[in-house]
Amino acid sequence: MSERLETTALGRLGAGFAKALAYAVMVIFAIMTIYPLFWLAMNSFKSTREFQVNMLGLPHVWVFDNFKMAWDFGEFGKLFPNSIIYTAGATLGVIALSVLAGFAFAKIPSRATKWLYGSFIVGILLTLNSLMIPLFIEVNVLGIYNTRFAVLLVYIGAGLPIGIYLATEYIKAIPTALVESARIDGAGYFRIFWRIILPMSVPVATTLAILNITGTWNEFALINILVSKTELKSLPLGIYKFSGSLSTDYGKQFAALTIGMAPMLLFYVAFRKQITKGVSAGAVKG
Amino acid sequence: MTGAKRIDREAGRAYWFMSLPAFVIYIVVMAFPIGLSIVLSLSDYSGGKMFGGEAWHIVGFDHYLRAIQDPWFWNALKNNFYIVLISVFGQLPLGFIFAYIIYRRIVKWPGFWQGILYVPNIISIIVVGLLWQSIFSPSGPIAQVVNDLSTNRFHQQLVAIIGSQGHLNLSDSAIQAVLKLGGPDAPNMFANPIPDLRGMIQAYPSNQYGVLITDLTNLLLQKWTPTFLNKPNIAMLPVLFVILWMYTGMYLILFLANMQKIDTQVIESARIDGANEGQVMRHIILPALSGTMVNSAILAISGSLSSFALIFALTGGGPSRITEILSIYMYNSAFLGQHDFPLANAIALITVIISMLLIVVTKVFESRYGGKED
Repeated sequence: MSERLETTALGRLGAGFAKALAYAVMVIFAIMTIYPLFWLAMNSFKSTREFQVNMLGLPHVWVFDNFKMAWDFGEFGKLFPNSIIYTAGATLGVIALSVLAGFAFAKIPSRATKWLYGSFIVGILLTLNSLMIPLFIEVNVLGIYNTRFAVLLVYIGAGLPIGIYLATEYIKAIPTALVESARIDGAGYFRIFWRIILPMSVPVATTLAILNITGTWNEFALINILVSKTELKSLPLGIYKFSGSLSTDYGKQFAALTIGMAPMLLFYVAFRKQITKGVSAGAVKG
Repeated sequence: MTGAKRIDREAGRAYWFMSLPAFVIYIVVMAFPIGLSIVLSLSDYSGGKMFGGEAWHIVGFDHYLRAIQDPWFWNALKNNFYIVLISVFGQLPLGFIFAYIIYRRIVKWPGFWQGILYVPNIISIIVVGLLWQSIFSPSGPIAQVVNDLSTNRFHQQLVAIIGSQGHLNLSDSAIQAVLKLGGPDAPNMFANPIPDLRGMIQAYPSNQYGVLITDLTNLLLQKWTPTFLNKPNIAMLPVLFVILWMYTGMYLILFLANMQKIDTQVIESARIDGANEGQVMRHIILPALSGTMVNSAILAISGSLSSFALIFALTGGGPSRITEILSIYMYNSAFLGQHDFPLANAIALITVIISMLLIVVTKVFESRYGGKED
């Protein structure tokens, strides 16, 4: 019985069958995953009339006007800068505040840590989508409805619980002796943060950057209730404009969707390893 | 002593300076809205100025009662549970299978498969929703392919019955068969079905055979429209399919990342000692991943209950509210028609409570039946 299964002829056959089955499963699901996106990109080059008679083939006539029309109608020239501002602002904000607070929670002894840190941990379980109504009312009461400030504030708040959790746990793992010997040498906590903790926190900051960039760039539910002015809208809000009334103008709609998915696809192609690592590190609940 | 005190003060100042900004934002964006939500759900506030406007009062649990007495609430809750189920029993097992296949190097190019299957996660939910909306739409590609196929078949059947060009078979039985092709409603199109249809066919000149076949097809063939987005009992299926399509890759990544933490030597030596793949799976991989599974299940539950944008873009909760989920029901209560903020907040809190309960149940389940991992 200690003989390995593969060394018998039957075992080899079984292993071969398992391999073929595994390839079949992977190929089928890979095609199912990628084909709709390819289909979308392909159809963004067809005129609406051609799409109606040729939905599955490559375009006979490649129409590039769709993109210009979609860009103008969706006012993407305004939305792209907004998306960049929100994504960069929220990401930098979350990283800075998380690493700062993480250092305080991990390395500066205080009785408050139990409560402060604990409340952020509870926050991981909450999802801001459930709180969109009170958030909407709150920003109205505060008079910050339709402001970039409100969007950034909410996005930073949304990223903080997981950010602080990851930063605190990461900084806890940095040897306390490093901090203590710097203290004995007379360094203040700010100096220690700046000289020791921050440089050592680059990996966790990278994880937070990945999580917040992908999360914020694609976010829809919250910004949808925070702004209504086109000047302040982000890309997903602009793309949503192409549903409903425009859903029969396929050429333009598909071009808009392609414009909407392109930046993240490029980002993914460039940073695939970091993204998958960041996402699996950040997938913590409870 | 004074030196130590000074250090303490410096530590205290640094501590608060570093942690307070984050905490204040947390209060403003998460803690306060929860409190506000609770207050509003017990009130009769219906928009307008919160302070200094029309007075509003605390009225108790009326809105919670209204919610649970509304059949649409249960419909939305049911849909949320479908999503939880497809997530926990669809995405997780599939993701696990993919991860296992890749991890055990049963297929080549691990990075390639992983990279492909994760792609939908990276795309904006709105893009995904609108993309699938047009795929499933009555004028979309699925409807077109099905109709092209059925048109072809109808053509062939027609030709088989009435014969080819120049030799039309217009006997009563042939006409009857053509009518039968058109389905049960076809005879109702004519006053005297058989003679009328025969007359119509005879009116075509013999060189217009192609036109005749096309016209007959257009007249008699029931165009198929995708009913799967309209039928109450199955309207959720496409939604669930899209959810499966979008998020399975996420769990593949999670499982794979945690499988890769397993010491490969343990597996190698188990194999050398004669353990087969099934035993490796049962005694090494599964126990090592039970924590990841619980965490994934919690992620799936909380993600499912808070999802909004996908269904908002894909169906908007339609047709006629059939695919509504709690977050859409909440959103529409607050922003469509009269601003029913109390009801919306009651729904929000019910959602949060259900989510927390399910997470606790999962945790209890873990501590009772799992717990082999570190």
